[in-house]
Amino acid sequence: MTPTDISVTAVERWIESPLKQFVEDAQALLALLLNASGQVLGQHGFTRAVDVMAACALAAAIHASSSELGRLMQGSPFGALHHAGRGRQLFLAAPETARGTLVFLTVFDSASSLGIVQLYFEELRARLAEAAPPPRSSAPVVLAQDFESDLDRNLALLFHR
Amino acid sequence: MTPSVSGPAPSGALSPFAAALDALARQRGVVGALVVSEHDGIVVDANVHTGVRAPTVAALAASLYRKARLSADAAGLGHASYVELVASHGRLCMAGRDDTVLVLIAEPHAASGLLRVAMLQALQAVP
Repeated sequence: MTPTDISVTAVERWIESPLKQFVEDAQALLALLLNASGQVLGQHGFTRAVDVMAACALAAAIHASSSELGRLMQGSPFGALHHAGRGRQLFLAAPETARGTLVFLTVFDSASSLGIVQLYFEELRARLAEAAPPPRSSAPVVLAQDFESDLDRNLALLFHR
Repeated sequence: MTPSVSGPAPSGALSPFAAALDALARQRGVVGALVVSEHDGIVVDANVHTGVRAPTVAALAASLYRKARLSADAAGLGHASYVELVASHGRLCMAGRDDTVLVLIAEPHAASGLLRVAMLQALQAVP
C-alpha cells in the first residue's frame, strides 16, 4: 500500500500528506488529528462521522485531563500517553504547530508497535510543524455557541456530506 | 575509542541484562548492543556508543526481527533463531527468545561468525 492508496481526509490540505505518511509508515489502523478544543482536523480509518465526533470529544478530554494532572504532579503537562489493550493499543500525543497545540490520537495493532509509533510520531510532529501555515490574523475563536456548527462543518468536509 | 552509553539503569542497580550486554559490546567492531521488547519495539537495556540512535534502531530492528520470524514460520521453516542484515556501512544482528530480542550494531569488519556465537550464548544467559 503506498501513501496515495491510503484514505486520509482532512479539513485543511497541509494536514493530509503528513498524516498519510504516518499511517503508511506506522501501519496505524486509526489516526485522528484535532485541535485542543476537540474540533476534528483530519482522520484515517473512521467510516462514520459519529465515531469521529465521539473520538474527538474523548481525545480532547483525555488530553485536557492528563495535561492538568501533569501540571499538578510535575509542574508541566505530561507527554504522550499510551494505553495497551488486548488486541489494539492507543497512543495520544500533542504536537505543537504554528496553528497551536493539536491533539493526535492513533490506534494500532500487532502489525505495528509502540516503538514504531513513537518513531513515526516524531516525524509526523516535524512534518506538521513544517507544513502548518501561520495562524490567520482573523483566526476564529472557538466559542461555545459556535462549537456544534463548526464541528458539523468539519465533519461534513471529512465525510463529503 | 568512542565512549559508550549504557541504557536504563534503575537507581544504581545493575539490570539483569547488563552482563550480557557488556560481553557483547566488548566484541571487536561492535558499536552497540541492545535488549529490545519484540512486542513493543522499546529499548529494555542498551550499551551503545555515543551517537547511536538506540530508540530508532530498537523500534525498526524489533519490527524487522518479528517479520523475519513470522516469515520463517509461515514458510514452515520453524523458529528463526538469528537474523543478520548486511548493509554498506555495517551489519545489524538480531537474535530472539520469547519477547526479548538482542540487537547488535557492528562495523563491516566485525567477524560475523564470532558475533553470531556470542549473541546466541548471550541469549541463553539473559533471564
